[in-house]
Amino acid sequence: MAGSELLLDDAGSDVGVGTDDGTDDAAPWPLDGTRLRLTARPRRRGHRLVVGLAALAVGVVLVIAGTVVLQEVTAVLRVALALAGSGLVYLGADRLGRFFLGEELETALWFSVAWLGLVTLAAVGADLLPLAESRDVSKTLATPTLLRPDLFSEHPLGTDRQGLDILGGVVHGARVSLVVSLGAVAMGMAIGGLVGITAGYYRGRTEGAVNVVADSMLAFPPLILLLGMVAVVEPSVRNVTIALGVLGIPTYIRLSRANTMVFAQREFVLAARALGARDRRLILRELLPNVALPVVSYSFIVLGALIVAEASLSFLGLSIRRPNPTWGNMIAAGQTTFEQHPHLVFAPGTVLFLTVFALNRVGDKARKLWDPRRSRL
Amino acid sequence: MLRIIGQKLIHLVPVLFLVSLATFFMLELIPGDPAAVIVGPNGTPEQYAQVRDELGLDDPLVERYLTWLGDTVRGDLGESSVPPVQDVREMIQSRLPVTLELAALATVMSLALAVPVALYAAYRAGHRFDRSVNGVAFGFISAPSFLAALLLVFFLVFHPDVVRWTVAAGGLALTAWLALRTVRLAQEYPKDQGRSRYLAMGLGGALAVLLVTLYLWGHWPELPRQGFVRLTSDEGIGANLRHAFLPALTLALTEAAVFMRLLRSDLISTLQDDFILSAKAKGMPVWRILVSDALRPSSFSLVTVAGVALGRLIGGTVIVETIFNLPGMGTMIVDAVGSHDFRVVQAGVLVIAVFYVTLNAVIDVSYAYLDPRIRRGRV
Repeated sequence: MAGSELLLDDAGSDVGVGTDDGTDDAAPWPLDGTRLRLTARPRRRGHRLVVGLAALAVGVVLVIAGTVVLQEVTAVLRVALALAGSGLVYLGADRLGRFFLGEELETALWFSVAWLGLVTLAAVGADLLPLAESRDVSKTLATPTLLRPDLFSEHPLGTDRQGLDILGGVVHGARVSLVVSLGAVAMGMAIGGLVGITAGYYRGRTEGAVNVVADSMLAFPPLILLLGMVAVVEPSVRNVTIALGVLGIPTYIRLSRANTMVFAQREFVLAARALGARDRRLILRELLPNVALPVVSYSFIVLGALIVAEASLSFLGLSIRRPNPTWGNMIAAGQTTFEQHPHLVFAPGTVLFLTVFALNRVGDKARKLWDPRRSRL
Repeated sequence: MLRIIGQKLIHLVPVLFLVSLATFFMLELIPGDPAAVIVGPNGTPEQYAQVRDELGLDDPLVERYLTWLGDTVRGDLGESSVPPVQDVREMIQSRLPVTLELAALATVMSLALAVPVALYAAYRAGHRFDRSVNGVAFGFISAPSFLAALLLVFFLVFHPDVVRWTVAAGGLALTAWLALRTVRLAQEYPKDQGRSRYLAMGLGGALAVLLVTLYLWGHWPELPRQGFVRLTSDEGIGANLRHAFLPALTLALTEAAVFMRLLRSDLISTLQDDFILSAKAKGMPVWRILVSDALRPSSFSLVTVAGVALGRLIGGTVIVETIFNLPGMGTMIVDAVGSHDFRVVQAGVLVIAVFYVTLNAVIDVSYAYLDPRIRRGRV
């Protein structure tokens, strides 16, 4: 019984409890409601600088050792070294960032933004980058197949069974993923958003009908609906985009309807109506600009979900096929021999994971910033 | 209560109608002639005419829809149009249990993972454990299921020794840490006020961890890469669970992360309520407050989400079934899409959607039953 109180006392020794989500995280324990920012052992500011620099340095050394220097050691050890190194680099950067830029800095968020920027740049400039051949098998006859990843060589992430470059495939796959999912989000947002605003504005019977349609679209588990749609069309970039866009429509309908209902009761709408504005003007000029921000901010998360959906489809071989590389079809192709050649799966897999993680992370933040139902107005 | 059930039923009818309409007209959207696809390029005109007749393609659209709907409601889902010709209903009857078992197992596993972690994380909200668990959960949510499945296969099936060593090392480290911490903290107790009891509890916990570690080291389970053994087969429930473990774990990791985050944030707000304060003032032990006072009022939304997740998993097992080669609904639909067997796609999609809608309606009703605030207020 008394042990628990000692646990509580011990809790005080933790430093700088700044968590990133704001409202949820008021620590309920201990009783007196101290936010535990008070630390039992106050540390000197310089301490963090030293620890940060040390972690960063050791991390960089480990990453270099794992990826470049130790070529002879087993792969497991190298990967473990590289992972541990990346972890330390993150911790070091976190400490240093908070030392120089203030306690509230969210390092993971900025890493995510940087990663998304990198992926977008790579996707846009895929044709300009000096990448080895990743699509045309006839040009890789002289390339050694199944090369292991070796940074600073001609094939940084190795080659696959036909000598195609993995990094090139990942970059071109990023282009497909981004084009398809951005197109689908734009389509879902345009159609679902307008329908949702209309439903939320008129209420009554319109809303009821829209709800039934959205409910029946949500009645299909997403991947099943997607399978049903691609069963009947040729898998091309355009068709897959449309199928994914349809998938996004009900989400956007619900989102924009809920947000419209929040704004439709506000005074500025009443004022506009009193000035004699028609429905069309109210919807397009008064409600749309306000609803747009929270709906758009939710798009990062939808984008992440749709990238996963596209990758799942091409993993099942039902989306864009070879010779055009996508993350999903690269992983599917590597899956058969990935006991011997894990890089075929884990190189595109890591990029996919990091991208989705970054989108979720940024989306979480964006939603918190711009969701009117959360903000205290 | 009855009013709520009635409202739900009334709402269910148009949704189910639209679902049936959508699945039926999927067939109509096929560019070209479904009969030509089925017969293939080498078919004779007679075969073609026969297939058209079987599918009823020459009848008017509305009549075909009504015939199809009538057959479906009576449980006649037709036959697969690609050889080997099978009764679709029998196919589904043999495959649905696999998917259901997988979904149920995954839900149970994820709850078993999520609840204790959420309890401890909420208790230590904002601390190191809480923050790291939150980060890990975020990672699990972001990992696509096929990636998680391949990662699990790579380590647990291809390189089990790596995992075995890691588990052993981790278990030993945890044992040592628990023991040291107990001994250190015990110093702060006055001798006559339960120091020995505290020591016994802490060291007992450490011993339990050690025993589990040693057991796992000695009896590390061999997990199959793929395939499935039915529950009703002669090999018994052990073989069945061994085959279902990895696929269910893959699904459970994502769900557990979702459940954990949800329950944690609900628990944190519950823990700020007055009745918790009074329980603390009475001197209740922490675990007692967490488990018997805070958990129940915090678990309403968890129950709903777990129910919805069960429904979603029935449709979400597609990827996992493909990777682990399980004879479930997902592989049936994927194979049928590949071989242009539209009857089977149609029937599979319809069954899953109906299941999902009905389950969601049941959950909505039971939610109202669980939470009096919803029962009394307007829905």
